[in-house]
Amino acid sequence: MDFVISILEQGLIYGILALGVYITYKILDFPDLTVDGSFPLGGAITAYFLTGGMNPYLTLLLAFAAGAVAGICTGLIHVKCRVRDLLSGIIMMTALWTINLYVAGTANVPLFSQQTIFKNDTLSNMIPEGIQAYTTLIIVIVLVVISKILLDLYLETKSGYLLRAVGDNPTLVTSLAKDQGNVKIVGLAIANGLVSLAGSVFCQEERVFEISMGTGAIVIGLASVIIGTSLFKKLTLLKATSAVLIGSVVYKACVAIALRNFEPQAMKLITAVLFLAILVLGMERRKKVKTDAGA
Amino acid sequence: MKKKTIAIMMTAAMVMAMAAGCGSKESSASDGDNKEASYKIGIQQFAEHGSLDNCREGFLEGLEEEGIKEGDNLKVEVKNAMADTATNAQIADSFVSDNMDLICAIATPSAQSAYNAAMDKDIPVVYTAVTDPVAAELADKDGNPVGNVTGTSDTLPVEEQLKMIREMMPDAKTIGILYTTSEANSVSAIATYESLVDKYGFTLETKGISQTSEIALATDDLLTKVDCITNLTDNTVVASLPTILEKANEKSIPVFGSEIEQVKIGCLAAEGIDYIQLGKQTGKIAAQILKGEKKASEIPYEIISEPGFYVNTKVAENLGIEVPSDLADSAVESFDTISE
Repeated sequence: MDFVISILEQGLIYGILALGVYITYKILDFPDLTVDGSFPLGGAITAYFLTGGMNPYLTLLLAFAAGAVAGICTGLIHVKCRVRDLLSGIIMMTALWTINLYVAGTANVPLFSQQTIFKNDTLSNMIPEGIQAYTTLIIVIVLVVISKILLDLYLETKSGYLLRAVGDNPTLVTSLAKDQGNVKIVGLAIANGLVSLAGSVFCQEERVFEISMGTGAIVIGLASVIIGTSLFKKLTLLKATSAVLIGSVVYKACVAIALRNFEPQAMKLITAVLFLAILVLGMERRKKVKTDAGA
Repeated sequence: MKKKTIAIMMTAAMVMAMAAGCGSKESSASDGDNKEASYKIGIQQFAEHGSLDNCREGFLEGLEEEGIKEGDNLKVEVKNAMADTATNAQIADSFVSDNMDLICAIATPSAQSAYNAAMDKDIPVVYTAVTDPVAAELADKDGNPVGNVTGTSDTLPVEEQLKMIREMMPDAKTIGILYTTSEANSVSAIATYESLVDKYGFTLETKGISQTSEIALATDDLLTKVDCITNLTDNTVVASLPTILEKANEKSIPVFGSEIEQVKIGCLAAEGIDYIQLGKQTGKIAAQILKGEKKASEIPYEIISEPGFYVNTKVAENLGIEVPSDLADSAVESFDTISE
């Protein structure tokens, strides 16, 4: 049971990150590498403010804001300086490494003695004895559900529609007399805000900030998005955002299974094979569509 | 529609595999409980590299000396995070959900995540190769544990190292250090060096890098400014030591190591820690805890008090440096070849 709970915890925390990646990769069609920097940015902001004694729930908002600023920077580099999408992400990711080090002060900040969103005085009084073991999971679920619902609501607004249009059909946006550059910047801001929020939650759950925590974050995010969207493509009842969250949990389950049953050296390969197996399922479907179209 | 079925079956298969994994582990746990005084521990190593591997071997040797032997009355599960923070967290969680009797964590990030995961279950954590347990918040200012966690530290014997370099190179003025800005251990070691170099008449020239690919350039730059280089236990730099040694050899600039493995592969000399020894010491602490003699929370962390001197005479010969005889005599181990 503990095993399943820890997969859910980890999967859902990274699910928030996956929601962010979903916006850039699936909606905007923008390969955004800023993620490797904005994920630890959330952690760094959290480390800085928690050690300063700030309310841990407030740091979540600050982390989101900081991530949004990072996303805006990537957007500005891409839109205003006309740098290619992939490169603008790389530039921001590189810059954020130093910024994160400055914000956190050092490469490794332990938070064992700080109050976090998972462990603080108010909370321990509030939560009944019986479900204390599930505190972390409950809080993660609450945060994930809030993020998902807000994102769903946003995508239904006018601005949200424009966001989706930029990825699908940029000409339409221009014909509506809207600047597609601005729409992209907004999308990147929300996406990196979510990623940074995930970094903050991860940092508080692990009770340590580590500068290298962002390495490979984009890979996890992309994997989750692709697993989620290809596994549940046909289930129209399920919103894409929910699919992405499930994708993230499935990805973490793959890692956990690989971790549990195989040599540590083999882990990445096993994860890759599981990942591929899932992708092939989605792929097969696409191929069929293509041949149909060809005939 | 058919594909959907496959997808659902796939998911179901994975969930089953997961559950099966759970089940088998639980049954083996109850097997262990039947035998008297049989232990099950998890070893969580942060990265794959010589010093940390030695820690692990030493740890198991230390346990064996106390009569806790792998295969007999000890079940060991070794997991390596391959320097990945997310994996690291999952390893810690899996050990806790397996209800290990003890978790041995090698290197700072592992120690922190193991302690964090084990905290609520009160599973003792014994760490090793943590340079600064106080800065990592694993111990308070007096060296006492902050919870059910203790272990050994691999703090560098900086003063001894400087003294040794001074003896080997009486005319040297500037010492260079290459380090990774993301490694907290290195940053704190640099601070110690800075506070001590004056005392031995050196100036310090440091060069921070952020990843392996920058090592070649940084080394070239550093070599133009220094008389010798000394190493920390910086994971990234140590892993790229061959590159650094090759460049330094071209310019006949000696490179000092921080532990035995580095001297083996071509560093001139080191006042360093023997990680096997450190691991053994850690194993003995773990044995006390497993046998119930003491709780982890009652044992302050330990350091190796006497560093050993290691020298590579082949390197000295190549560089034309004469090792002072009293120093050479004091060597714990002296190598006359450079192993690849």
